[in-house]
Amino acid sequence: MNIALTQTDFAALSPLLILLGGALLALLVESFGGTSTKKSLSYIVLAVIGIALLAAIYAPSSNNTLLTPWIRFDSLAKLFTIFFLAIGLGSSLLAIAFFQRFQATHGEYYFLLLSSVIGLILIGTAADFLTLFIGIETLSIALYVLCGYMKDWKLSNEAAMKYFFIGAIAAAFLLYGIALIYGAIGTTRFDLLMKAYQTLPDEASKALFYGGIALITLGLAFKAAIVPFHAWAPDVYDGAPTPVTAFMAVGTKVGAFAALSVIFLVFLPHFDVRWNEAIAWLAYPTLIYANYVALREYQLRRFFAYSGISHAGFLLIPLAAGGPEALPALLFYLVIYSIATLGSFAVLAFIDTRSEGVMMQDLRGLFRRSPFFASVLALCLLTLAGIPPTPGFFAKFYVFKLAFQTGYYGLVVVGLLTTILSAFYYLRFVAVMFSDATENATVWPRSWPTITLGLASLIAIVFLSFYPSPLMNLLAVFGTG
Amino acid sequence: MPNLILLFAVPLASAVLLFFWPRGAGVNAKRIAAILSLLPLIILLYHHSEWIGTQVDYDWLPAISMRFHLSVDYLSLIFLYLTAVIIPISILSIRSDKISHPNVLCGLILMLQAFLVGFFTVRDLAVFVIFWEAMLIPLYFVINIWGGPNRQQAALKFIIYMIAGSALMVAAVLGLYFVSSTSGPGTFNLDLLAKVAESSPYAPWLFAIFLLAFAVKTPLFPFHAWLPDAYCQAPTAGTILLAGILSKAGIYGILRINMELFPTLMQLWGPVLLGFAIAGVLYGAFVAWMQTDYKRLIAYSSLSHINFVLVGLFVLSQTAHAGAILQAVNHGITITALFLVAGWLEERLGSTVMQQGGGLAKYMPQLCWLTVFFVLSSVALPGTNNFIGELMILYGLFGENPWLTALLGTSIILSVVYMLLWLRNVYFETPKPFNPTFIDIKARELLIALPLVLLVLWIGIYPAPVLKLVEPASEKPTAVANLEYPQ
Repeated sequence: MNIALTQTDFAALSPLLILLGGALLALLVESFGGTSTKKSLSYIVLAVIGIALLAAIYAPSSNNTLLTPWIRFDSLAKLFTIFFLAIGLGSSLLAIAFFQRFQATHGEYYFLLLSSVIGLILIGTAADFLTLFIGIETLSIALYVLCGYMKDWKLSNEAAMKYFFIGAIAAAFLLYGIALIYGAIGTTRFDLLMKAYQTLPDEASKALFYGGIALITLGLAFKAAIVPFHAWAPDVYDGAPTPVTAFMAVGTKVGAFAALSVIFLVFLPHFDVRWNEAIAWLAYPTLIYANYVALREYQLRRFFAYSGISHAGFLLIPLAAGGPEALPALLFYLVIYSIATLGSFAVLAFIDTRSEGVMMQDLRGLFRRSPFFASVLALCLLTLAGIPPTPGFFAKFYVFKLAFQTGYYGLVVVGLLTTILSAFYYLRFVAVMFSDATENATVWPRSWPTITLGLASLIAIVFLSFYPSPLMNLLAVFGTG
Repeated sequence: MPNLILLFAVPLASAVLLFFWPRGAGVNAKRIAAILSLLPLIILLYHHSEWIGTQVDYDWLPAISMRFHLSVDYLSLIFLYLTAVIIPISILSIRSDKISHPNVLCGLILMLQAFLVGFFTVRDLAVFVIFWEAMLIPLYFVINIWGGPNRQQAALKFIIYMIAGSALMVAAVLGLYFVSSTSGPGTFNLDLLAKVAESSPYAPWLFAIFLLAFAVKTPLFPFHAWLPDAYCQAPTAGTILLAGILSKAGIYGILRINMELFPTLMQLWGPVLLGFAIAGVLYGAFVAWMQTDYKRLIAYSSLSHINFVLVGLFVLSQTAHAGAILQAVNHGITITALFLVAGWLEERLGSTVMQQGGGLAKYMPQLCWLTVFFVLSSVALPGTNNFIGELMILYGLFGENPWLTALLGTSIILSVVYMLLWLRNVYFETPKPFNPTFIDIKARELLIALPLVLLVLWIGIYPAPVLKLVEPASEKPTAVANLEYPQ
């Protein structure tokens, strides 16, 4: 039996290894590098993520028995790796923009950012509950620190503490759930879950299994900020620095749904209809509550917390529906949501000059002051609102079609009615942007990272508006595993 | 065979071009836009006799079974022509030296033109919804950026009403999709859906959802609450688009979806809807009479006239349907003309309050007589376009209920009353002291209005060529209805 790792295995793991190397390099540069090296650190980080992205695209898959019980190398894992690296790339652009405005050390930031991307990739490629848990903890611990990264911002410290406590509780739930599942079926491997569940001998072990599933779902629901487990999100998003908020809004959300979809759509599809019912019942309050509360939010980081929660409600619909189309629909929605959210945050990072973040009145007259950023934000918000012909509409349509097919008519109707509210609160920001500029408007310095990210999402949205089918086909191919 | 995709792609490409037009060349941007906006009309006229039956059909989004399927029939062609005429006039009404970013405004209008071409030809119900909602975006920005003092509230109110009205349309579309999937592969094709739509147990609900969306946009009384603000706050170009074409999109929707897919339900609900429409005609007329602001007066007169068109749709008579389609075109022409001359008046008077005017005919005789001409068209003077259309609707209604016809007929008298009130207050009576802004319209403005004048007279005096298009367009829905209920 060959148990040594070959070159192919290292190549298969290369995205993770490159990121790890890059993260350590960032720490070293911060500790020992001169001023000029430190200045170029952001470019090094971009290059590292870029190389990892290329490595992820061309990485072979490994079938070494040392790795396969822990990490999957299927097409879905590859897709998630690429997706998370792209999010990492966007977030580091935002971080560069942030450091152009605010004084703080860079090295630790990039180390933590790259670590959390490693955590995300582990979540997406996990083949075992333990790998999943390690991924989630790597992501979370890095994020706890990132949240309080600006040490002298009072709000940030509070947010970091809050996030840490809630996160620790969620992790405890998750771990307890994993333990119960292990107790019921004697393994934590994903690929053995379904079979072990079907051959459970008695009611007692079934109860154990259900208990475990419930606790895992609950733990992930905390991470995904689903009502009623969302209470941390607005405060934490509000307190964290803008690029961290962006990373949480996109990275954590996608990570949590990646975990949910891998477990419940790929390895445990339709194992018990009660689980699907429960998810549907979570979707109702999530949709209604988040959309209602977002109506009264004027601070944009906080607003995006509620916007993210409401999108989590839509993302629950394919999970509840299940079936072969659920994964492509979920992935498409996640991609569109990420593009639009990152694009919006590019604009926020451009405007952001204070620790309190961007308020609604800061957007006043944005169109006259910077037509480019106003167009990016308007387009991103229209996409998030799901107004055709933006790709946000296709994403919602796909999800609703799925819900209709599986008979969740109530979810379709509630989802559609909440889009009226969401149209109102997204467009309210658009309206402010196109009003006249205030007299004493601050002049924002040019910032290439935000322009790059804004342009990238603008192009992506315009392209996907007219021609979404390549992406849909791609996701359908990848989504089949 | 003419290429239908060209008709859709040309305005879209023009819009993109205009968005990236270099700043500082404002006047040029508008001229370029005006020329580009005429291209669809030229394409339409060039292939005039070959359009019927033209189609394109691409597999657009196989994952959710959407097809990019456009096809032209008589009904589509009429509204395509209307779009092709109104859009250039809307662009020409822009004063590019007075506003910021005229290139973006023109680009948005051209984008709307592309969406309208798509909307009036699409045969895939899901893509129909996309075009239907997509139209809102350019209009929202037109009102929001270039409108009057309360433009932001008006724009938000407009788009929220629209989205609320059509929010459930996606559910109805999916409902129809799964009705069709019970007998074969699911489809959004309108022709196939027409065969199965009414077999759904939820057919009345689906019908109501679609009708609500169209009723809000048209707007059918009592769904008009957004109208006065949006019409009055929008810039002249935007008001022309709202009144001239957007309301027609609602009418087209009723003809295309409610009548073709649910003919028996349409027949069943017709009398109730007729009541709303007649109430709307009279309500609009009375409220217009009460106005002291002439832009609001025209806005309410538009409400009144558009409900007149709806009366024609809700009567089960082919003459009335033909009249309604013709009257939709006429309303598009006349209301565009009225808002155009009102816009010019507003530029000169600096206000839309009627009391600010008085005796302006003395200083601006040409604008005055042009306005009088379009007012006469609006009050359906014999020899103008509206006379033919309203007569056909009244004739159709007479076959059903003579008393209602008499009631509806009074609206024509009312329209004379409020329109002449406007003319008297602003142009006649004792002249105001001269103001240097009272410059009469010149050749440029007359040239913009000329096509509208010619259309008014052409349809009014020799309507046969237009009726040749309108009659086959009105045949289809009525024929289906008669099939269901042989009399």
